[in-house]
Amino acid sequence: MDAPTAAIRMTGLAKRYGSVTAVENLSLEVKPGRIFGFLGPNGSGKSTTIGCLTGILDPTAGEIEILGQRFDADNVAIKRRIGVMPETLGLFDPLYAHEFLAFVARIFGLDEATTRKRVTELLDALELTEPGKTLAEYSTGMRKRVAFAAAMVHSPEILFLDEPFESIDPAGVALMKQWLRRFTEQGRTVFMTTHVLETVERVCHDVAIITKPGKLVWQGDVSVLANDGKLHFNGQEFDALEPLFLHLTGEKYKDLDWL
Amino acid sequence: MNFELIGVLIRLRYKLLWANTRTRNGKIALFFAGYLLLVMVIALLAAGGTGAGMAAIRSGHGTQLAGALLTGIFVQGLLASVILGFGMAAIFSDTELRRYPLRAPERRVTRHFLGIADPFWILFFVLDLGIAFGLYLFGAGAFWYGLLAVLLLFVCNYIAARVLGMLVQRLTSQKFGSMLMLAMIMCVGMLPAMLQPVFKKNPALWEGVKRVWQITPPAAAGVAMTHIDFSALLALGAIVLWTAALLAFLVVLERRPPKAAVVYATKVVWSDRMDRLGAIFGPRLGPLVANWLRFYWRNNRFRTIYPLALPLAAFMLYIFSRQDAKHSPFGGPLQAAFAVFGIIGFIGTGQFAVNQFGYVGGGFRRFLLLPTDTAAAFRAGSYMFVSMSGVLILPAAVLWAVFAPIPSSAQMLAMLVGCSVMSLFLFHGVALWTSILGARRGTYKQALGNDLSLAGNVVVLGGTLAWIFVPQLAIRTDSTGLLLSYWWVTPLLAAAALVFYIVSLRFTTSLFRARREELMALMEGKG
Repeated sequence: MDAPTAAIRMTGLAKRYGSVTAVENLSLEVKPGRIFGFLGPNGSGKSTTIGCLTGILDPTAGEIEILGQRFDADNVAIKRRIGVMPETLGLFDPLYAHEFLAFVARIFGLDEATTRKRVTELLDALELTEPGKTLAEYSTGMRKRVAFAAAMVHSPEILFLDEPFESIDPAGVALMKQWLRRFTEQGRTVFMTTHVLETVERVCHDVAIITKPGKLVWQGDVSVLANDGKLHFNGQEFDALEPLFLHLTGEKYKDLDWL
Repeated sequence: MNFELIGVLIRLRYKLLWANTRTRNGKIALFFAGYLLLVMVIALLAAGGTGAGMAAIRSGHGTQLAGALLTGIFVQGLLASVILGFGMAAIFSDTELRRYPLRAPERRVTRHFLGIADPFWILFFVLDLGIAFGLYLFGAGAFWYGLLAVLLLFVCNYIAARVLGMLVQRLTSQKFGSMLMLAMIMCVGMLPAMLQPVFKKNPALWEGVKRVWQITPPAAAGVAMTHIDFSALLALGAIVLWTAALLAFLVVLERRPPKAAVVYATKVVWSDRMDRLGAIFGPRLGPLVANWLRFYWRNNRFRTIYPLALPLAAFMLYIFSRQDAKHSPFGGPLQAAFAVFGIIGFIGTGQFAVNQFGYVGGGFRRFLLLPTDTAAAFRAGSYMFVSMSGVLILPAAVLWAVFAPIPSSAQMLAMLVGCSVMSLFLFHGVALWTSILGARRGTYKQALGNDLSLAGNVVVLGGTLAWIFVPQLAIRTDSTGLLLSYWWVTPLLAAAALVFYIVSLRFTTSLFRARREELMALMEGKG
């Protein structure tokens, strides 16, 4: 069987909560072996889209294909092949980091020896070795590292990361970026959201920008920026992601006379 | 003192209360709260408030009766506040108030103004006021003395509740503190029955207790409400002194926060008894069951209630069956055992099983990301609760066989175990529904208090009361022999309850899938 041409494909994806539309007719494709940046202003539907792509939420309309298979919340086979770091991290606070990671690894079907080896290595690499602290007692950055480790522990083929770098110290971010690059070199895919556009320029290959309510307004290759290339939109040229993002999502200039 | 800002914050507290009513659950809660408040105010003003004040005067022992009534209200206020958690919700903690331009004493005043302005405390204020009004109407005491006594007693009651609450919090944050706390509550419950014969034999002791009681705030308030002479002023002074002393103690407690006795693990344990117990459920559900077990075993409240389930059941059986058959509402020890064995089926896990996801918070989302069917975590949680309650049945049966006040037999044991198993499956079957339809976000770290939804409370309290009253009403014989001839009924009912549980599990699995987004929003504090 041929390898799928797209790691992730969504067609006409929509998510509505009653009369409120969170995502509207969103169609895009993510190629395998790429780091895909999914950008948009606050409340534009990024986390909702990730929710639909990972089975947390049921789309109101549209189709999702992951690794060549149609995906919904009950597709356990695909869930086994993806790793997710959700927006709210999804941790069980009273557990110790190793207990939490071992639980995730076991549920993902790793044998006991592999579970112990991988969890130990991840805890060590991500400097989560403070003994005796439960997840509730960890700092925000440490909790984020645990959630990142939980997404990686079963060595998935696609990683979904919702705001992965916020609150993590520069050394931690550098390590995570290095892992993500190695991850995609092996043909695996990363789908991530972030608000740090400089990071996106340095890490991501492709980017999609959405606006409220979850409408795709631009998709393209941003790796050209590393070679002094330009980003194009409607005949206009942009030499960085920030001006393009602001142009698409609407620049806001408002002076407060008391400020 | 920045009273303007304090006023703004109190208004904000009520705005937040009102904002809760925008949700469906909030609307239901508001309706019931409004209805209950109306009924309670009418009933209590009549029977416990003004009416009671009038009755006190008519009896000719106005001062004593008023003191006793006020003591009852005072103690109820303390217990409801500390044990059930009503009226103790600190909307703004000291840390949260630091963002406002308030100095330390202002922050303290703000917190306590917010606390005392809780609707719960206003209800107690109305009760006290009702008594004072009743006493005044019948010519005992002066109106202003009465009003002053009510205000002072109300403040004193609130401060006493805060002091007691903080002491309880300190005790429960210690290792085994929660268990000690519940054991103390049980002892207090038994105390009146135990002390009654002692006082009968030794009247001087009773007189001594009465003398001590007369200088307590509610008894002093009783004096102030029924006198117009200098003794009323003295009584008011006594309440002021009590209030000042309690306030000083509260300030001392607040300035010295408790040091949590946390035992840190120093080494990584890969497989503990939770994993071994979970493994019984197979490789697919085993890790989930172990995870639930670990999650709840580290919960202070679970660790308090579960180990005390059997001693509590034994205590209940002792209370229910200690009267002779003629006076016992149950008719005999076997009938009482029905009630207790029924309660054993859920007493250890009941308040958690009816709100399975109530404490997982953001962890709920993790369950949906796991490569299992959507409701696997839901089922695993229920299996864990059923197992934890189920394992209490066998030791209970053994204890009954050894210590039963009547000769035990195989039929009797089958009958009682059947009763427990029926209750186990019936309750946990209903709990599956309430976990989805009546879920509520709770506070994991809280050791005492009530954070169940209305549905959860109805199921837990209703289940307990049903097991206490149904055997009294349904079993119309005091003949143990006749009862034993129908020993096969409860195992049959247990089988029917098992069917109910399985059917509920099937339907709620689909329901969970359909409502998981709402549940997630609720658990993450967005719903």
